[in-house]
Amino acid sequence: MRNLYVFLRKHYFILLFLLLETVSLLLLFNFNEFQNTALVDLSGNFTGSINTAFRNISEYFSLRQTNKTLVEEMAKLHSRLPDAYYKSDAYSFYRNDTVFKLQYRYISAKVISNTTNKRNNFLMISKGSVQGVRNHMGVVIGNRIVGQVVSVSPHFSWIMSMLNKDSRISGKFKKNNQLVNVEWPGGNYRYGSVKEVPKHVDIIPGDTIVTSGNSDIFPEGIMIGTISDFTAAPDENFNSGTILFSTDFNSLGYVEIVVDLMRKEKEDLKATFKGE
Amino acid sequence: MTTPKVVFYNVLRFFLLILLQVLVLNNIYLGGFINPYFYIYFILLLPFEIPGGLLLLFSFLVGAGVDFFSNTLGLNISACLAMAYARPYVISWISSGPDSLNGDSPSLKNQGLKWFLYYSISLILIHHFVLFYLEAFRFAEFFKTFFRMILSGTFTLLLVMISEYLFYPKEK
Repeated sequence: MRNLYVFLRKHYFILLFLLLETVSLLLLFNFNEFQNTALVDLSGNFTGSINTAFRNISEYFSLRQTNKTLVEEMAKLHSRLPDAYYKSDAYSFYRNDTVFKLQYRYISAKVISNTTNKRNNFLMISKGSVQGVRNHMGVVIGNRIVGQVVSVSPHFSWIMSMLNKDSRISGKFKKNNQLVNVEWPGGNYRYGSVKEVPKHVDIIPGDTIVTSGNSDIFPEGIMIGTISDFTAAPDENFNSGTILFSTDFNSLGYVEIVVDLMRKEKEDLKATFKGE
Repeated sequence: MTTPKVVFYNVLRFFLLILLQVLVLNNIYLGGFINPYFYIYFILLLPFEIPGGLLLLFSFLVGAGVDFFSNTLGLNISACLAMAYARPYVISWISSGPDSLNGDSPSLKNQGLKWFLYYSISLILIHHFVLFYLEAFRFAEFFKTFFRMILSGTFTLLLVMISEYLFYPKEK
């Protein structure tokens, strides 16, 4: 017993180091399962309030940009109001509710913290489960992609940005609907990479990539970006290219969360099929 | 020989550096992805005679503070602990003997430019190495991560040297 005490006393520095390092690595690899709501609850209330206070000041510096985005968005929406159409025929704008059923609803939220310089980037936003945000919902800004919700507390949500090594978005070429995968290889936050482009698809710089709508997260046709560079790989089965994101992730002030009202129906359908 | 003044300055530095890191520096992206981790200045400036256990504990706390704000719990803690563990060894390697150390804490003024540069470069490298490779966690991006680590490390070192010259100017 005395020997143990002497041993501990002599080597306590390295022993304590190893103990603490083990604790921190356990924290890193268990808690960073990003769905862990407990962590966001614990830290979100405290860090969220500090971040909010800081954002309240710093957002004044980007008011001009925010304003411009809002005005553009408003103009776009105005142009879709019935008032904006010239009524050539009294019956042409009759809208049948059994034909048009609302599928997507959008919740707007303020970004209170955001990074683009890490390998794995996240955003915190000011809406949570109280406002109807749920896990795995898509996040967009205007018609451009931002990321998806990975963790929700009552008043805040944590969003995995497109700029993350775990982000893998199913996209397609707007011109011919060919499916591709979009990822972010790290480094410059403006550029991502397009994987698994079939050999026979011609890629031209400038081609638009939009979301495919195959996953339940994003509606179809949300802008991801445009092809900026492309090299043919003769030895492999698929080509790949570089994509210039249409979203400027570094200047996000407000984002919108996509609520798919028919998601449950889709999931139920999948569940029944599995059960057969 | 820890005076209340030394304790006070270290506590103050602890909170100021965490706030500076999470509110200001984490929003700086030079060239898109270069990010200084200046908060480790706190660990660099802890007194020479601090007991090993306290050194590790404080490093744990400062790392946890930064981690809480960036939702990367464990990442900065691991890097800080590695740095704190190496600190006594680095100090004894680059000093000629325990008597050659002037003053309470490492500083440019008391230890000289060469000593302080060796000291901060080696500790910054250890911290950044652990931080960047744990964050990327794949060897496929080895050189890219290395490049980012060196650039961010240079930036951190620059901030450390600037603050040394600003807050602890040489007496004429």
